[in-house]
Amino acid sequence: MSFVQNFPFFSIIIAMFSGIISSVLDGKRARNLCLSVIVLTTGMSLAVLHFCVRTGQSYTYMMGHFPAPWGNEIRAGILEGLTAVLFGLVMFFSVTGGMDHTAVDVETSKQNLFYIMIDLMLSSLLALIYTNDLFTAYVFVEINTIAGCGLIMIRQIGRSLSSAIRYMIMSQLGSGLFLIGLSLLYDVTGHLLMSPAREAVAGIEAAGLYQVPMLVIMAVVSVGLAIKSGLYPFHYWIPDTYGYATPTASAVLSGLVSKGYIFLLIKIFYRVLGRENVIASEIVNVLFVFGLAGMLMGSVHAILERDTRRMIAYSSVAQIGYIYMGIGLGTQAGMVAAIFHMFTHSATKALLFISAVGLYEVSGNRKDFRSLQGSGYRNPLAGIGFTVGSLSMVGFPMLSGFISKLLFATSALQSPHKMLPTVIALAISTILNAVYFLRLVITLYTIPGDSPENKEKELANKEKAPEKRPVLTAGTWKLPLAIISFILLNLTLGLYSQPVVAWIGSGLAMFD
Amino acid sequence: MEGNIRLLLPVVAPVAAGIAVLLYSGFRRVRKPLLAVVLGILVLETILLGLALTGEGSLLLWQLTDVVALRFNVDGVSRLFAVLTVGVWLLAGVYSVAYMEHEQEEHQFFGFYLIVLGVLVGLDFSGNLITMYVFYELMTLTSLPLVLHERTKEAVAAGLKYLFYSVAGAFLALFGIFLLLQICGNQTFVPGGMLTAIPEGKAGLFLAAIFCILVGFGAKAGMFPLHGWLPAAHPVAPAPASAVLSGVITKSGVLAVLRVVYFVVGPELLRGTWVQQVWILLTLLTVFMGSMLAYKEPVLKKRLAYSTVSQVSYVLFGLSMLQPQAFVGALSHVVFHSLIKNALFLCAGAVIVMTGKTQVKDMKGLGRRMPVLLGCYTVVSLALVGIPPASGFISKWYLAAGALASGTGIWAWLGPVVLLVSALLTAGYLLPLTIEGFFPGADWDGEALERKAAAEDQKKQEPSAWMLVPILVLTAGALLFGCFPGTLIQMLETIGAGVL
Repeated sequence: MSFVQNFPFFSIIIAMFSGIISSVLDGKRARNLCLSVIVLTTGMSLAVLHFCVRTGQSYTYMMGHFPAPWGNEIRAGILEGLTAVLFGLVMFFSVTGGMDHTAVDVETSKQNLFYIMIDLMLSSLLALIYTNDLFTAYVFVEINTIAGCGLIMIRQIGRSLSSAIRYMIMSQLGSGLFLIGLSLLYDVTGHLLMSPAREAVAGIEAAGLYQVPMLVIMAVVSVGLAIKSGLYPFHYWIPDTYGYATPTASAVLSGLVSKGYIFLLIKIFYRVLGRENVIASEIVNVLFVFGLAGMLMGSVHAILERDTRRMIAYSSVAQIGYIYMGIGLGTQAGMVAAIFHMFTHSATKALLFISAVGLYEVSGNRKDFRSLQGSGYRNPLAGIGFTVGSLSMVGFPMLSGFISKLLFATSALQSPHKMLPTVIALAISTILNAVYFLRLVITLYTIPGDSPENKEKELANKEKAPEKRPVLTAGTWKLPLAIISFILLNLTLGLYSQPVVAWIGSGLAMFD
Repeated sequence: MEGNIRLLLPVVAPVAAGIAVLLYSGFRRVRKPLLAVVLGILVLETILLGLALTGEGSLLLWQLTDVVALRFNVDGVSRLFAVLTVGVWLLAGVYSVAYMEHEQEEHQFFGFYLIVLGVLVGLDFSGNLITMYVFYELMTLTSLPLVLHERTKEAVAAGLKYLFYSVAGAFLALFGIFLLLQICGNQTFVPGGMLTAIPEGKAGLFLAAIFCILVGFGAKAGMFPLHGWLPAAHPVAPAPASAVLSGVITKSGVLAVLRVVYFVVGPELLRGTWVQQVWILLTLLTVFMGSMLAYKEPVLKKRLAYSTVSQVSYVLFGLSMLQPQAFVGALSHVVFHSLIKNALFLCAGAVIVMTGKTQVKDMKGLGRRMPVLLGCYTVVSLALVGIPPASGFISKWYLAAGALASGTGIWAWLGPVVLLVSALLTAGYLLPLTIEGFFPGADWDGEALERKAAAEDQKKQEPSAWMLVPILVLTAGALLFGCFPGTLIQMLETIGAGVL
């Protein structure tokens, strides 16, 4: 066994222990530890990816050398490695970009708590990616939920507390459904490890037994994870959650956490329930319809929204809809498109949240359209970052969003029954995306006129909104670094998409 | 990057120069170096274009995915559009030297002006659908600041309108393009189309996709139902920007439609289908409606914008006939309308700068103060109406002859009728300015106005040479192409023979 094969386990455990150690460190040290752990685990994931690409196959890793039906297992392949690398990159730049704001928004005595949550989040995401055991997956789903809750409410303003509670309730509902699904599956198959469970499921399906329980398992697991990833119509927790958390938390929650659950769902579809069974059960069609509804309704909500941060959050609802639509197509190409869009959305949404922060900084920390007028000139780099992110979401060529759209459209054209609804929904949703994103981009580059009317309003605004909390005004190198890196990540995904798409394809092939 | 690397220069040079102009703060205060650089780049661009066009060429830019490559490929159509673009850009650039003196933030205007030029040349050189789409989107984005230039509330509203119509159109077209990619792959454009037959069992979807592309790219060409941005965007943009928007950028919509119909799908596949029928109907509707709206419009620049709506659809009508003569008529109208409409907008801009008047009814007696300007206006107006020997006559002749020979049933004679009615309306909306300008009538008190002008220190009668010379050149072009159309028509007939 090669040393590299230990890395998935190492990275999970290092992230977890750094969280424990951080509880006795002060804020600054905890932050540095957190950053170095992210770098380290990302490096390890890169090594794993390289290893899997080189050997051309996946491997399972026994924990404690207990063989198959009893022990706990980790599994790594190309897709796992790739996802872990991208998640690590997005995590690193989200934390770096929002670092100064974290220092201001979070109480000094609780700084280290924030970074503990980030460590736990990283550890649970890696575990969700690498695990080959259903119960381990459940445990880390719970850890992820709790860390997410902590990240939301650590800001301790009114809205963030209520939104954390809402997040908690919705997430627990999702976890509960997921747990019911797992229990049923354990009842039916007698296994919690993915590979033996898969064989048992195949035997059951071949014998035609337990048809209703199997359907219930698929439905409950899918809906449970769909709630947690914010698929329409289970999206009500999203706008508040992403809208009022600290910038890092918003970027991490929208960019990574929801994707972790989707990755788990895909893994369960392929590795446990069997893709053909899921397609035969028509659960995919339900996900497809919900996905389409999300694509349209998320955009409509975003158009109606005046607060830009909530607007970006609603746009997430639409993008999650795209991903579920790709899964719902039920073809290999659709799945590749969905996973690629997962990466696109991670990189782009984090870019949007982080550059939006740069724009709020120079607009008196207000988030409505009027206050943001002309902010693209006051913070040029953040303006460019936001513009690039918007264009990528809308699907302008050369950026990653365009490749996603291309993959979605191509895969839709290969599945005759779902082609028309997909293409129509894609077209409408793209135009709706363009409406709200480009409207905001234009606002960023519009200088408000100097008419006396405007001046009066400005004065009124100033009197109306006295700033209670300390506000960060002077920018440092961290935000620009994060923005530039995210732009580069976007361009890379847009221009060099082929290797990534090929890796996704071969990674999915390894799932079988 | 393999192939004729010289093709890259006329695209990259103006874009790089434009970005430099935008970023370098030295240009913001002093005017002369800025103008020198801009004009220098414009002249350089003509040389670079000449160099690029000397060799046959194609250039692989970037392998986007396994099947999708970005590629330049120069053919007859590319040459025609690229030469036209660069020529018009140079003239409007010279004009801007005088016009932009009265505007704020000149470096922004000129920066984007240069960038759009590079992007447009890239669009003209595009060798396949995806490349064309990339440059099409870039064109929308980079030309937007030209519309937004004045930053007033109206300008922002108009800019948004322009953006939404263009982007909505482009994405409508994009989904058609995805389907075409599926069917024919991302090959380099083939004259006459890549397909031999409509794909089995997919006829409905295929035609619907083509129709989406026609309507989507038609937005840029101002075709009904997505024509609404033109009359909003033109009056608020600075005159040289409206001139190139109307004269060149609307033509890029034509180019996109032309490429899809004649170089990807193939005219034979569309002949006689419902797509052709609806397309003809839409173009004729636009021709008539544009003229009617122009006839009723009191503001000069808006009137010219409606006129563009109508005239660009002449071109689309010619393309929709799928007939060689109509094709020649359409492409020649691209050239002639570009020259004429540029001249008209530049005249309108000169009037605004010299007198501050925007409404046609306030321009009585204009010919007394500026006979040369109004003379040019009159000549190009007559050319647009189609009075021989001016150029508009040639293109309309070919359009009508092509339509009559096209064998499209009722459209074969209804088309020419609509064109004639619209020509009458064109005379009706353009010539009143000439008539009232030169012959204001007995009750017009010119001396009082002159006294007023003298009091306000408006001594100059005609606009300066910076403005007048480009207008004169465009006017001469509009006349000379009508008198000696031989070479141009021959060239267009060669292109037409290749695709039909």
